Amino acid sequence: MKRRLILLAAAAALGAVAFSGDRFWLQFLGKAMIGSILAMSLDLLVGFTGLVSLAHSAFFGLAAYLLAGLSNRFDLVNPIVTLPLCVAFAAGCALIIGWLSLRATGVYFIMVTLAFTQMLFYLFNDSPALGGSDGLFVKARPIEGRAAAYVAIWTAVVLVYLLLSRMLRAPYGRVLEGILGNEQRTRSLGYPTRRYKLVAFVIAGALAGLAGYLDATLHGFVNPAQLGWRQSGLILVTVLLGGKGTLYGPALGALLLAFIEHYGERVTAHWNALIAALVIAVVLFLPRGLAGLVPGTRRA
Amino acid sequence: MPEVLLQTEALTRRFGALSAVDGVSLAFEEGQVHALIGPNGAGKSTFLNLLSGELRATAGLIRFRGADVTRTAPDRLSRMGLGRTYQTANLFPELSCADCVWLAAQSRLPSSMSFFRSAERYAQVGVRAARALEWCGLAARGDAIAGRLSYGEQRQLEIAMMLATEPSLLLLDEPLAGLGHDEALRIVELLRKVARGRTVVLVEHDMDAVFSISDAVTVLVDGRVLATGSPSEIRASAAVREAYLGEEIP
Repeated sequence: MKRRLILLAAAAALGAVAFSGDRFWLQFLGKAMIGSILAMSLDLLVGFTGLVSLAHSAFFGLAAYLLAGLSNRFDLVNPIVTLPLCVAFAAGCALIIGWLSLRATGVYFIMVTLAFTQMLFYLFNDSPALGGSDGLFVKARPIEGRAAAYVAIWTAVVLVYLLLSRMLRAPYGRVLEGILGNEQRTRSLGYPTRRYKLVAFVIAGALAGLAGYLDATLHGFVNPAQLGWRQSGLILVTVLLGGKGTLYGPALGALLLAFIEHYGERVTAHWNALIAALVIAVVLFLPRGLAGLVPGTRRA
Repeated sequence: MPEVLLQTEALTRRFGALSAVDGVSLAFEEGQVHALIGPNGAGKSTFLNLLSGELRATAGLIRFRGADVTRTAPDRLSRMGLGRTYQTANLFPELSCADCVWLAAQSRLPSSMSFFRSAERYAQVGVRAARALEWCGLAARGDAIAGRLSYGEQRQLEIAMMLATEPSLLLLDEPLAGLGHDEALRIVELLRKVARGRTVVLVEHDMDAVFSISDAVTVLVDGRVLATGSPSEIRASAAVREAYLGEEIP
C-alpha cells in the first residue's frame, strides 16, 4: 500500500512538472523518465526472466536512427505513422537478434548480445551515410514543443509500467517466473521455454525502441554512442541499483541516477566514481537494490 | 490383452566409449506399475532421461501411444501426457508450494502466451492445483516456500506438481532416495495411492517398496536388461540373485 502511494506521488509530481514550463526541468526529467522506460524493460529480462542482455541499447538506438531517417529523407514525422514503425522495427530486430542469441545460455548469451551491439555500433559509427560518429539531427520532430514531448514521455512511462505489471501477473508472467527459478523444470512441465524467452526479448526490445523514439523526439538528435554497449551497461547498473525483479525499483533508480549525475557533476568531475561507490554499496548491503528499502510486496 | 502405452526398441545411449543404456527393448503396459531396478550405474536414470526427452538416444526407438517420440523435446512430451519426478528434488526453490503447483497446472492451458488477464482468474487452473496439493497432503502448506520444505515434503511437492499436469504416464526417479524411515513410509503410501489406475515407470532402490507396489519388474545391469517378470518371478530368479550378490533381496 505504502509502495503504491510512493509511486502515485512520484507519478503525480512528475506529471505536474509539465505545467511548470521550465525548459531545464522538462528536458532533464524527460530524459530521466526515458531512462525509467529502459530500466523497466531491461528488468523484464534481467530481473524476471534471468536473461542478462547487453543489446538493450541497440534497440533504443535503432528506433532513434529510424526516426531520424524517416524525418530527414522522407519528411515522415507524424507520430501515428512513425511511432508504430519505429517500435515495430526495434521489435523486428529484437526478434532476429534474440532468435540467434537465445541459442546460447548464461555467459555466452551475454557475449552474443554484446557482439551484436558492437557490430551495430561500428556500423553506424563508421558509415558516413548513417551520420558517422557525429550522429544525425532529426530535422523535423514528431512532437514539437518540449512540454508536449514531456507529456508524451510521462504517458509512456505510466503505460509501460501498467503494461508490464499486468503482463507479469498474467499466465505469461508466471511462466517467466518459472524460467527464472528453474528453466529445465519449467520445460519439463510442458513449456517451450525458449519461445517464452524470445517473446520477452522482443517485448523488451520494442519498449527500448519506444524509449529511443522518445529520446530522439526530445533531443532532436541521435548518435552512435547511445547504441554502444556502455549504454547497455549503464541501463544494467540502473536495474541492479534500483532492484531487479521489481518494476518500480529500476524505474525510480533511473530517476535517482539522473539526479546523482546532475548534482554530482557540480561537486566533482569524477561523479562516475560516486556512482561506482553507490553501486558497490548497494550490491554489498542491499541485495534487493534500493527497492529493498521500500516496504511492501516482493514483485511488480 | 492390455494396451502398451510406452515401448522402447533397442534403445541405446552412449557417453563416449561407455554404453549407459545398451539396446534396451521394453514394453510398459497401461495401468501397470513397472519398476526398474539394478545396481548403481546400471543406466536406470539415463533410461528415464531418454524417455522424458532430457537426453537424446544414440540409437533405437521410443514409441508413446504408437507414435515415434525418440527425438521429441521434453516440453512436447509433457504436453502429450508424460509426467516425471526427479532423483534430487527439482523444484522452484523461491516459489511457494501453491505457486509451484499452479505453474504445473497452468501448463495444461491451450497456451500460456496470455498477457493481460490476471492468472488468478483462470479458475480451472486453481482448482486443479489445489486438488493436486491436497492429494499429496500439502493442502495446509500452500504458502510455504518450496526451498525450505523438509526433504519428504519436497518429494510430496514434486509428486503434486507432476499430478497437476494430469499425466497419463508417470516416470518416478528414486522417489524414496535420501528419506528417513517415517518419511519413506509416508511417500510409499502416497505412491500406492498415485499408482492406482495409472501407468508408472518406477526407478527405486528400496526393494521392499518396489516389490510391494509393482506389477512388473525389470532388472538392468550394465545398461542391459537382465530379466523382466512379475515381482515373484524376479525374486526367484537365480540370475538376479547373482547380479545382486552382496545386496539384499527379500
